Amino acid sequence: MTAPGQTSRPVGARSPSWQAPSLLRGYAPIGAVALLLALVPIFFQNSPSRMTVIIVGMLFAAYAISFNIIFGSTGQLFLCTGALAGIGGFSSAILSERGVPMLVSIPLGGLLAALVGGLLSWVAVRRSLDTIFTGVVTLAFSLSYDNLVLGRKDLTGGETGLRVGAGSDTILTDQVKPYYVFLALVVAYLVLYRAIQRSHLGWAFRALRDDEVAAELAGVNVARYRVYAGLIGSGMLGIAGALFAHHRGFIGPTTYAFGDVDVRVLVMLTFGGVGSLLGPVLGAIVFTILDEILVGFNQLRIVLYGVTIVALFLGFRRGVIPTLETARSKKRRTPAASTKSAED
Amino acid sequence: MTAVVLDGIVLGLQLGLLGVGLTLVYGLGGVLNLAHGQFAVLGAIVIARMLDASFSLWVAIPVGLVCIGLVGLLIDLTLMRPVYKLRGEERVLLGLLLMLGVGTIIDGLLEWRYPIEALSIRISGDPVPILGVSMRIGGLVGSGIALVAGAALFVFFRFSTFGRATRSVIQDEEGARLCGINPATVRTTIFALSAVLAGLVAIARAMTAPIVVTGGVRLTILALIVAVVGGLGSVSGAFLAGILLGVVSTVSAFYIGSYITSIILLATAAITIVFRPSGLLGHRP
Repeated sequence: MTAPGQTSRPVGARSPSWQAPSLLRGYAPIGAVALLLALVPIFFQNSPSRMTVIIVGMLFAAYAISFNIIFGSTGQLFLCTGALAGIGGFSSAILSERGVPMLVSIPLGGLLAALVGGLLSWVAVRRSLDTIFTGVVTLAFSLSYDNLVLGRKDLTGGETGLRVGAGSDTILTDQVKPYYVFLALVVAYLVLYRAIQRSHLGWAFRALRDDEVAAELAGVNVARYRVYAGLIGSGMLGIAGALFAHHRGFIGPTTYAFGDVDVRVLVMLTFGGVGSLLGPVLGAIVFTILDEILVGFNQLRIVLYGVTIVALFLGFRRGVIPTLETARSKKRRTPAASTKSAED
Repeated sequence: MTAVVLDGIVLGLQLGLLGVGLTLVYGLGGVLNLAHGQFAVLGAIVIARMLDASFSLWVAIPVGLVCIGLVGLLIDLTLMRPVYKLRGEERVLLGLLLMLGVGTIIDGLLEWRYPIEALSIRISGDPVPILGVSMRIGGLVGSGIALVAGAALFVFFRFSTFGRATRSVIQDEEGARLCGINPATVRTTIFALSAVLAGLVAIARAMTAPIVVTGGVRLTILALIVAVVGGLGSVSGAFLAGILLGVVSTVSAFYIGSYITSIILLATAAITIVFRPSGLLGHRP
């Protein structure tokens, strides 16, 4: 057992002299991914339709990272990813329409989403240590969100949707510039994810994910850390949704619908690897490409997502990134073991 | 006001029957069937297709119910096998996610093949006056179906050997096993029965409002709320919660607006979870 004081140390920091390399090791993958993704517009900048698809892909990467904090880190199955993003999107759009500048309304949208997500998390974890209530409460919230958007026509435009004018003539219009905005968002989210992993929050998250009861006994307030994860992840979803609303210039009831957002995010995250840093990004890239290939089979894509959910959870629950990591560390361990036996 | 409350009871009986199927499956195996509403829609669409092919209602309904029961049986025998091998939280999570996948598949297939299909059953007859309010015959027949099904379930669980075996598995799986009950058989049967109940809800509901292809998720969520408020695993709790929520939602829809009903339902579920996590009539440890 480690003493409470030691738990706040960053991962891998065995002594102060190790600080710099471990910091580098922690954040280098993010830099590499950012560099690779920054090159994407060079190949596609002449095709506006392709760029639109790619930007949506980046949006989903941001969603998936946020969802990873909630689901991957603390095991809360939030079935309202789309609704939380929609809270951010709609509230930010409505505020901007009333004259609030975009730079204020986007964080406000995120804040509202964070509060709602934190509240849902609080209700679900308050009494029991049961995943079931999280699922039920968040699904019911998805339905409420949907009815609210359709019902409050005066605010949201109902079925016809809402035109968002604040983002025009800014960095968010056009194709290439907003791509870099969304890339920056994804990179920021990745950095935040890694920073959380290395902080005392990360320790608590890992402890409660591995064994809830043991974590609770070791003095981790499981309910409180779950609510923290709900707050942070929901806020991130809200900001991503708000940014997208201003970029797209139009949002409607289907922009953040359950079937369009939640199911896809779940598939992307599970495919890439729940609880891994780069899993959500990999999942978003793979499924954005797959979506583009299958663009002709509209409803069948939904079927494909359903089949993928079933297949992934039955046979490949670990995801690509964790599997690769295990394979690599095994390879690394094997030569080490052989040299050891040689020494013997 | 009386009319609104009576409408609420009509809706509530449908909700109760919807919740019962979900609550039984969860109580038995810990699987939260997120495809329950889609089962109902699937049953409805099978019946609607048969009616389109000019079969009579008396042929279409049994065929539809048998079809959806077989789908339930098949899913339990294949997809749910690995779920039941797990224990505790892991079982709950895997069951829930797999059924979410199944629900998505059903949704996608139906929207792809029959995007504008809908089931509505019209029953001819004059409105019947009840408590000074003339009620449409369709709603009454639908409520009758729900009541009969509920009474049948009550008798089944109270007096039949298999029903008592089912209750014993809900209470204590290991204990039931020691008494010579095979939980797997009970689970499979009840899973199929729950799918049939979903189909029955679709029929009862189609008498007051059309069942559309895209309505599955909505029905699932309503079933979840009813099951949570009533207490997961409790049949009478589901009916009680169904009627309560039905009345609450029609009254609030009448006085505030229909968009508010799902928020009130959500709030009811949240309050129940916070103050009475085991539900109105739940008896889980």
